[in-house]
Amino acid sequence: MLNPVLDIKNLEVSIRSRDGFVNEVTKNVTLELAEHEFVSVVGPSGCGKTTLLRAASGLRMPSGGKVSFEGKPITEVPQGISIVFQEYNKSLFPWLTIGKNVAMGARAYPNAEKERRVGDALEQVGLKGFATRYPWELSGGMQQRAALARAMVSNPRVLMMDEPFASVDALTRNHLEDVVQSLWTDSRFSVLMVTHDVGEAVYLSDRVFVLSARPSTILAEIKIDLPRPRSQMETRKMLRFVDLQAEVLERVEEAGRNSVGTEADE
Amino acid sequence: MAGANQKGRSALLRISLGWLGLVVLAVAWQLAATAIGKTIFPTFTTSIVAAVRLVTGHILVSDILPSIGRTILGFVISAIVGITAGLIIGYNENARTWTGTLFDFLRSLPTPLLVPIAVVIFGINGHMVIATIVTAAIWPILINTANGTSSIEPTMLDTAKTYGLRGKSLFLRVVLPAASPQIFAGLRIALSVSLVVMVVAEMLGGGSGIGYYISNAQQSFNISGSYGGVIILASLGWIFDSLFLVFERRMLAWQRGTVGGMIDA
Repeated sequence: MLNPVLDIKNLEVSIRSRDGFVNEVTKNVTLELAEHEFVSVVGPSGCGKTTLLRAASGLRMPSGGKVSFEGKPITEVPQGISIVFQEYNKSLFPWLTIGKNVAMGARAYPNAEKERRVGDALEQVGLKGFATRYPWELSGGMQQRAALARAMVSNPRVLMMDEPFASVDALTRNHLEDVVQSLWTDSRFSVLMVTHDVGEAVYLSDRVFVLSARPSTILAEIKIDLPRPRSQMETRKMLRFVDLQAEVLERVEEAGRNSVGTEADE
Repeated sequence: MAGANQKGRSALLRISLGWLGLVVLAVAWQLAATAIGKTIFPTFTTSIVAAVRLVTGHILVSDILPSIGRTILGFVISAIVGITAGLIIGYNENARTWTGTLFDFLRSLPTPLLVPIAVVIFGINGHMVIATIVTAAIWPILINTANGTSSIEPTMLDTAKTYGLRGKSLFLRVVLPAASPQIFAGLRIALSVSLVVMVVAEMLGGGSGIGYYISNAQQSFNISGSYGGVIILASLGWIFDSLFLVFERRMLAWQRGTVGGMIDA
């Protein structure tokens, strides 16, 4: 791939437990993310998806391999990478209003610019008029949209999402998927999403990677050649969608079968 | 509107009932003291009159105000040192390991034992009282702050790091507010501890102050005077706590919805 935005090479992460035992979480993960590409990583639970994302974003130092963002190796979370976490209720700061939470993502801009960007970001996710509310005054789906606005307000090159829709109900999940999809369609950023929901990965992505059980490596890469724009009603009905979903699911099950007895940390 | 009205009325009723308990106690005290009729047990009204006389007389300046000043100063010093140390210890696992046993030992020391030592170091004066207050009031603040800090959600710290917050701004903008509900719980305990220790230290070697006045009045058979002092102390405790709660509600207003309403006190 020519000039990938994010370049993960032979990534290896080990976790040292309290008793000094070194636990290999990921091994030899190589993954490239092109500009404006939507890539998902799926795998059996406990396979180290979150750990992979933390290392890929710079939140955690890998024990081996390299992660480069725009050609430069990363040592901390670089400007240009935004992260949306699964637990919006632990990620939004409860002592700040929605507007101030979103403004956190726009810290680099001068005040007038910041205000404009916060307003725009809230409007994009359909939260116009909620800037002065506190997170607890909003439903779960709205809170996750606020977290999304906070991630988008800085105009990132890469949006990383860790199980972003796992904590909301099914209808809200569909809606959030489409919010993300339309943000992505209207802009130039790339997405690296970690999820255990195979249908969601297929519905949104250009490519889906399947992780094996621990120590996890990439078991399969599946290209999703569904036409865009995609819609929940139309795309999920397509024969091709059903086929792709079955294919990914099969690889995930395969990975899961080998992981019986592996402890889960996620 | 009827709902709001009803809500207002029930709140008023609740407050009135709370005060009613106090009135019942005062009446019972009055009746019992009148029935017994001994100088060693003055009536409620006599004690109130004595308290008013203390507040309006020279004792206000010579003893009551210094006591208030010492309590506040001791509390504020404890808060500054306790919160700072608690944040560092709570955030840093190594610091927790190193200080754990030492702090467990230090905070088990009974404070009155420290008064003679403090007298030797500072003399019989207000500084001794303030120092003694700090040795006791710092612990609930420090321990609550450390607990609050060490139990911050990892996701929250990850989020802060994502937005480039580190060092001082990480502490001021994320760690401190995230730990603030527990910090305030510690502060409130420390405030009442400060008041208690102030009295004890003044009784044992203050040279002046409300505690000194009470023990002096008792030793010189000014029984109503010492009861008056006790009433002033109780009022001070109530005023301090009420002011603190107002402050806490303001600072933690954001928390109201997240924990399903604040506990009324």
